[in-house]
Amino acid sequence: MNWKTGWSVAALGLALGSGALAQDYSGKTLVVGTWGGDIERLLREHAAGPLEELTGAKVEFLLGGSGDRMAKMYAEKSNPTMDVTFQNVYEAPQALSDGLVVAPDESSAIYGDLWPGMNDGCYAMSLVGLGIAYNKGMVTEPVEWADMWKPEYRGMIAMAPYPSSEGDGLLGVAARLVGSDEHDPDAAFAKVSELGAPALNYTSLDEVFALMDAGEVAMAPMISGYVLAALKEWDNIGFAFPTDPGPVLVRDMVCQVANSPNPELAQMFIELALSPATQQAYAEELLFGPTNSKAELSHDAAADTINTPEEVASLLQLDWPYVISQRADWTERWNKDVLGQ
Amino acid sequence: MIGRGPAHLLVAPGLALVAFVFLAPFLLLVAMSFWSQPEGSLLVDTTLTFKNYIRIFSDAYYLRGLGRTLWLSVATVALALVLGFPVAFWIVRRAGRLRRFVTALMLLPMVCGALLPTLGLVNLLSPLGIINGTLKTMGLIDRAIPLLGTQIGILIGLVQAFLPLMVLPLVAVLDRLPPSFEEAAMSLGARPAQVWQRVVLPLAAPGVLAGAVLVFCAALTSFVTPQILGQGKIATFATMTWQQASLVLDWPFASALAMVMLGLMAGLGGLLAVLRRANWAQT
Repeated sequence: MNWKTGWSVAALGLALGSGALAQDYSGKTLVVGTWGGDIERLLREHAAGPLEELTGAKVEFLLGGSGDRMAKMYAEKSNPTMDVTFQNVYEAPQALSDGLVVAPDESSAIYGDLWPGMNDGCYAMSLVGLGIAYNKGMVTEPVEWADMWKPEYRGMIAMAPYPSSEGDGLLGVAARLVGSDEHDPDAAFAKVSELGAPALNYTSLDEVFALMDAGEVAMAPMISGYVLAALKEWDNIGFAFPTDPGPVLVRDMVCQVANSPNPELAQMFIELALSPATQQAYAEELLFGPTNSKAELSHDAAADTINTPEEVASLLQLDWPYVISQRADWTERWNKDVLGQ
Repeated sequence: MIGRGPAHLLVAPGLALVAFVFLAPFLLLVAMSFWSQPEGSLLVDTTLTFKNYIRIFSDAYYLRGLGRTLWLSVATVALALVLGFPVAFWIVRRAGRLRRFVTALMLLPMVCGALLPTLGLVNLLSPLGIINGTLKTMGLIDRAIPLLGTQIGILIGLVQAFLPLMVLPLVAVLDRLPPSFEEAAMSLGARPAQVWQRVVLPLAAPGVLAGAVLVFCAALTSFVTPQILGQGKIATFATMTWQQASLVLDWPFASALAMVMLGLMAGLGGLLAVLRRANWAQT
């Protein structure tokens, strides 16, 4: 057991009290749905490993996109096989309102440790912001949202496929640039469609950075975290958090699936995922801002992540439940107005 | 000789499998296309309704998508025919010992699935790919010509993917056409163009029809090629259905889109059956 794992086990032991620990979960398998790669690795190291050691249960990861997990939850509503799932903020409130996940427990100790106002449908796992990645040779700093609409960059903006947090965030920003907000989709779509069809609908960071490096793409609204970590390999690509309006707050959420086979284990896993140890690892290695106010970050990680209440306050918060309710209409509208289909 | 009873039993496992993995989900798909989602929820309301179909046929966006998909499929058939006929003719008449090798080459894209060749095309067509890279190196362009994310890019991919479906039926038909027919026509004074127009093409018509139907249906329902080469910027019926099912999570509406696509194919099948019957009646 390394020191980090030991710390996690001790923390969980304290949090749960000796009663829960006395129970033996050998033979049980907790199913956790999450993204593959670094996220899976960190969760395995800081949450699954300690939980297996502590309870004798096995943790099985189900890897894929968050949309696949939403689909799975709806398909298995009456008989769920997944216990814990990681979702985007644009999915979690919908999952709660459709009764697929358990609402965060406001009386729990871990709830009190998280920044206030961040739990939305599920527990907030990490904080990131939608900013702008840009080619340093083509775009003058400081970079603001309005720069994307300059005529010289027409047809040179890359976007994430819609529906996505990035797309919703861009709509929220565009509406504010014309003095409105996301509740006015006419204004938002009119402004975004002024950008013209995107130069690229990016599905991977390498794809967009290679084109940005080659000068085919000038700017792209992107979410900090992974992007900042990956950017360290590209000298001429920068990332800016604009100020007018500020970056859009985006969160990854961790949810307990309703009526899942292993609710106690699910709760224990979630507590470990939200523990300072996991949150610090997320911040140090992936530059995902912690939601646990007790997480302590190195100077470098603190500089690149959203990790203080003041920073959170500077971010643009969208009315996610409203945005989610518009998903079907806005997808059609995005295809028509933005992609010109 | 095996009696009727045991012979039927031999078919039973296969039928049961088809019923379980195809028919049951298919019936669910049909039913689901008449269901809907309550306002503000992604759960399914099983009250029967036509609203998904009304939405498809009353919204210009879906009708345009349908038109775009049909046009891409027809263009794929036309290009596959123009490119495939000479290849099939060459395989039958000129390839000689190379015949097996060339036929195997033709089959290769079909055997290795849609994904690999399509990803290969991404390398060819992307802004940093071989075509744009070469043009840039030669100083002919400053910025890449958009090939990915365009209908032209998708068309190139569809033709590449489904050309074998045109060539193989043509090879089968042309194989049964003895060279002596063409020689006879020429000895009677027909010029090469006339030999093609009046002898080869009419006799190859069943192969052309079979190839056209196969290529059309494959292109109409193709998902991987339009999704990857269209980069999510070109909406075809298959990509729209996927978007509704996997991203918007509106399964009833996605089911209705799938049913419309299926209806189109069934309609085409019916039309062909009528044409064939009319053809028989003539001959």
